[in-house]
Formats: sequence, C-alpha cells, structure tokens
Amino acid sequence: MTTTAPSSQLSTTSNKPKRLSDGVFAFLLVLPGLALLLAVVVYPLITALVTAFFKQSLVLPGREFVGFQNIIDVLTGEFSRLLWQTLVFTIGTTLFPFVIGFALALALNTRIRGAKVLRGLMLIPWLVPGVVVSFLWMWIFNANYGVMNALLEGIGLIDQPQAWLAQPATAMGAVILAKTWQSFPWMMVMLLAGLQTVPRELHEAAEIDGAGTIRRFFSITVPQLKGIIGLVLLLEFIWNFQHFDIIYVLTGGGPAGSTQTFATAVYETAFHGFDLGHAGAIGLLWMVLLMALVVVYVRFSEKGEER
Amino acid sequence: MSDRTLFQSPISRRQALAIFGIGAATATLAACAPTGTGAAGGPAATAGTGSFAPTDFKFSSWSLTEEAAAPAIKSLLSGYSGKEDVTIEEVSFPYNEYFNQLMLQVRGGQFTGAAHVDVAWLGSLAALGKLQDVSALTADRGYTESSLKAAQFEGTQYAFPWTIGAIGLVTNSEILGKAGVDAEDFPTTIDDFEAALVKLKGLGGGLIPYAASTKAAQLKDILIWMQTFGSPLVKNGTVTIGDDASVEAVAWYKGLYDQGLIAADVDRFDARSLFAQGRAALYDDAPVGRGAVTKESPDPDLASKLVPVSRPTLKAGDTPRALVWGGAIAVVSGAGAETAADFGQWATSDLDTVLADYELRGLPPVTEEALSSDVVASDVFGSTFAERITKTATSNPFWVYPQYAQIETTIAEAVQAVLIGQKSPEDAMKSAGEAAQKLIG
Repeated sequence: MTTTAPSSQLSTTSNKPKRLSDGVFAFLLVLPGLALLLAVVVYPLITALVTAFFKQSLVLPGREFVGFQNIIDVLTGEFSRLLWQTLVFTIGTTLFPFVIGFALALALNTRIRGAKVLRGLMLIPWLVPGVVVSFLWMWIFNANYGVMNALLEGIGLIDQPQAWLAQPATAMGAVILAKTWQSFPWMMVMLLAGLQTVPRELHEAAEIDGAGTIRRFFSITVPQLKGIIGLVLLLEFIWNFQHFDIIYVLTGGGPAGSTQTFATAVYETAFHGFDLGHAGAIGLLWMVLLMALVVVYVRFSEKGEER
Repeated sequence: MSDRTLFQSPISRRQALAIFGIGAATATLAACAPTGTGAAGGPAATAGTGSFAPTDFKFSSWSLTEEAAAPAIKSLLSGYSGKEDVTIEEVSFPYNEYFNQLMLQVRGGQFTGAAHVDVAWLGSLAALGKLQDVSALTADRGYTESSLKAAQFEGTQYAFPWTIGAIGLVTNSEILGKAGVDAEDFPTTIDDFEAALVKLKGLGGGLIPYAASTKAAQLKDILIWMQTFGSPLVKNGTVTIGDDASVEAVAWYKGLYDQGLIAADVDRFDARSLFAQGRAALYDDAPVGRGAVTKESPDPDLASKLVPVSRPTLKAGDTPRALVWGGAIAVVSGAGAETAADFGQWATSDLDTVLADYELRGLPPVTEEALSSDVVASDVFGSTFAERITKTATSNPFWVYPQYAQIETTIAEAVQAVLIGQKSPEDAMKSAGEAAQKLIG
C-alpha cells in the first residue's frame, strides 16, 4: 500500500516522476477509445443531425441555414407514410419470425431424433449475409424468370406471372417474407435456450393434474418465458426498425416508394437525391423514434434485473 | 496502491501509457498521412500542359463489373501499364450504382485518376470542381467535332470522348418475322408500332413484345418517348413535364403495360437477359448491348438477327428521336492525374488501341481515322445503328443541370406510380414537373 510521503521526504525524491492517481490513469487508458468513439460515432452523428437545419446538396458547394424548414417539410410530407411503412415492416418482421421461431423451438425442445442436426440446419438462413438473402429472394420473386411464378403456375394457383416486387400490394409482403426467412433462426435459438430452462417437473405435475398441452403451454411455458419473449421481441423490433439491406437490395424502397422505410429513405434522399438537408431531417426524426424504443428497452432490462 | 498491484502487470503505468501513446500517435499519423488521393479543390485544373514522369493511378469503370465488357477493359489497362510500366488500380461499381459511388468518392477525395463516365454525368461531376480540363490533350488528335462536344460541359473539355452513340430500339428479326413484322421495314408511327407489339404478343409462349424499362433505375427511358410525343422536357429553363405531350406519352406507356406489351420488373440488364434468351422481341439499348446479349444467348446466331431500328414517331414523317449515349474518360485532379490524362488520351485516340477495343466491345469510336477504318466501316450492325439511330440522336436537356440525377429519379418514380396505378398520368406528371422545376431553381 502506498502512503503519502511527508513533505520533508518530497524534496529528496523530487527528481522521481510523479505517480498518477487511479482516476487519471484510468481516464488516460479510456481516452483513446473515447477519442475513437467521438471521431467515428459522435462527430458524424452530430454532423449528420446538424445538416437537418441546412439546405445542403451533395453535389453543389455551400449550404444555407434554413432552421426547422427541412423538418417541417418531412413532417408535412412523407413522414406519416414512412412511419406507417416502417411499422408494417417492423411488426411483420418481428411477429412472423417469432411465431415460426417459437414453433420450431417447441418442436426441437422435444426428444425428437436428429434435433441437434435440425437445429444446426435451421441456423443456415441466419448465417447467410443479408445481401445474399436479398439476391436469393430477388430471383425467387422475379416477375419474368422467378421460381415463385414457375411454382405457382405449375400448380395452377396463378395463370400468368405476377410482378411480386413491382406491385405495392405484394412488394412489402415479399420483403417481410425474405426478412422472416433470415430472422427466424435467431428467435428459435433464443427461445429454445429459454425453453430448456423450464423445469420438466412443472409440466409433469401439471400433466398429473390433468392439464392438456395447450393449457400447459399457456400456464407454464409462456409465463416461464415471459422475460425472454419480451426481450427478443423488443430487440428484434428495434433492429427491424432500422433495417436496411434486404429492403434496399430487394426493392430499393419501390415500387413508387411503397416499401420505403426510414432507413432506405435516408439513404435514397442523401445518396440518390443528393439532398443532405432533407435526409438529415428524416434521420433526426427517425432517431427520436429510436430513442423512444431504446428507453423502453432500458426500462424493460431494469425491470428484468429487479425480478 | 502501486502500479503493479493495480493491474498485476509487469508493465508500469508510465510504460503502458507510453505504449498507448506511441500506438495512438502512429494511428493518428497514419490517419493524417497523405493517401496519395488528395483531390484538388476549386475549379478544374488543366491537364497535359507539361512533361511528366508516369506514375501509378486509379481507373474506375462500370464495365469492369460486366462479364462481356470487362475483358476488353482489362486488356486496355494491361496494355497501358505494360507500355508505361505503371500500376493501374481498378475501381468498379455496377452501372446503376456507379454514378452515386463515383460522386461520393470524388467529392470525398478518395478517388483521383481516370474515370470512365457517361457523358450525361459530366455536369454533375464538373460541379464538384475536381475534373481537369483536358482540352490541351484533345487538340489535334483527330476526334470528331460532335464527340468532343459531347464530352464538354459549359464549353470546357472535361473528358476524352471514348465512344459516342445513342440508345435506340434493337430487335430480333427472327421473332419479328414470326409475327409478320419485317425488321427492315419496321413500323414508323406509334400506332403501327403498337399494332406490331400486339401481333408479337399474339405469338404467346410468355414472349414479352417490348422489354422496355419499368424499374425505377432505368425508367428515365420514358423521357425519349415524351420527346417523341412532342414534349421538349425543358424550354428556356422551364420544365415542361406535365404538358399534354408528356402526359400522353406516360398514358400510352401505361397502356402498353396494362396490355402486357411491356413487362413489369425490367431494367436494362433484365431486358438484355430476356432478349438474349429469346423471351423479348425488342428492347432499348446502346451498341454496347450487342456484346452482352450475344454472349449470354443460347442462340449462337443471335448476332446475325440483331437489327437496330428507328424509334417510331407520333406522325409519319417526323424525325425519329434517339438519346445520345456516350462514354468518356474524365480525369480527376490529384495523385496520378497526369498519367491518368495520358492514359485517357491514349485509350481514346490511339488507332491500334481503339480498333482493338472496337473488335472486343463493338462500341463506335470517336476519331475520324478509326471511324473510316475497314473494321468499323464493314460492321453492318454498327453502321446500321449509326444510320438509323445515332444520326438523329439528341442529348437529354436535363444533362446540363448538376441536379440531373435527382430530376431523373423524381420523374422515374412518378412514372412508376402511374404504371402501378397509384396515380393518374396527369397528377403524376404535374407533380414530377413541379419537383423537377424546384430542383433546377
């Protein structure tokens, strides 16, 4: 243990370097990471948000301060459409993978043969990069030489090829399907892990008391998994709210903007429309909504810890 | 508390901080060091005004991502790098993404050197202030006057013209013949053209009569039809989209879509695939498409069945419309720019190089000498294309505006909204015209 040196001794050791306090030392250690965070996260984020208050083009030099005009333009323009489409995508790509993932987790939690192999195989879609998933589904849904049309025509469900990605009514469904295919394994793995923590004795006791499968599912399994269900739904919701790659590659936000979400709209506006101010305004509003979701997540996590 | 007891480490705090300090300093220096790609700001510099020692440089081209064109470009690059003993770093993005990526890289200073550009993009790229004026290197090299003009913006020679042609209708004469339509006597009016498409549709078998662009990425093709219907698009700085002619053109296009005479979900690359497979009878393309469709086709004789035809007109006797299409090599100021400029001049005007490239890609050259060579003059497809399509081609009036890409995107999305029934042609074109006008200012 180091003790404070008497002042008389200090003069004799004054040529020795001074010791750093724990606080200063810790701060200096954190400093490079902090500097990196400021440089690659905070600075670009603030810069991007600041552009929301300027009329600024990616092509033309200079910018002009316009106050809240960009934000007003977004709020009175595409905001409600983007919010609705983002919510449709987010809810769809959260609920469908959840239902499929839960069903598969329940199946794999039984003592069926080959459960481990099946579990591994089911993970494949989750391991495939989003862009690859998008191209795969783009070919499946292609109006002119896609597998989907060939299959449905083959079994007589449609009599002429459908433009799945070129019709607003089907394009969002196609995007949700592609994302569901990619996401369900993660849901499955998380829920399966949760299911394996549910004591078998509870089920056995309920069975002796005459509870059927459905009753046991709703009275034992679901309550026992409440925490993990809430967590995976919330996390998936937040991720999907900011999802970009599958939508962008599959439809580019089209047709006529019908699959555009906040994520693709920011990119399209900034890098295809070259309108940085408008893109910044969409980004700012999108971030406010995301912050609200993060607050819900933090509250949920805190509640979980309290339990 | 001592240093050692804090972290149980043989390294003292000072040593640890010194190591971190050296690491941070190295990282900072590396980050701040010139990358060799720093771009000159301000107005374009002038290339070719003095002697230079060849250095390594970057070359970007969308053609490097295309199976049919990439070998020709690679051969060109290896020819120059062997000749000058330099290394050329290849940069490539697919065509639909290329313009945006190039803009971002040039703007951010990550790209300097030679860039393969569509002549349509020169206005936007020039606005960044990083393209060099190459007029000193284009003088006395035998470029045709029209090709030099096509690679200029506001009177400045921002690029070496590489190939100047047009986008027009390319047909499969065999399929047309089956429907009783003669490719050599192709319909000259819109009404007759539509009637021919109906006949082609009648062949059945899932044939797409006209693989016109319907995806937003290439829906700019509608502009030439608007001009065909009589809309000037822009007149004295005023956008005319929303006028009767443009509305009529879009309504007609929607009619083709609803009748199944054009198909959903098609861009230039889909159109080439469908045409190559014999699933489309005609489509819009530049001469560069010939290489792609013949290479991709299961029909070894497809090349002999390709017939370029003039775009039909609204009334008999009108001049057929076609859109100028051209490739050029622009030089972006910064590291390697002088060598890049020398490469640009060599690639576009050295006779042997140009003819070798012509044999591989079939793109119309831009020098008088190359155009009059036997190789070019004896190419039936090339000369027919030039006679029927390029001869009356005009540039897009939006190209002079740096916001050209935004304008085209706005119009394309409005047309797509009409095709899928979200908006009426009148409403969509009116709002597209207003949005385009707002962009122009």
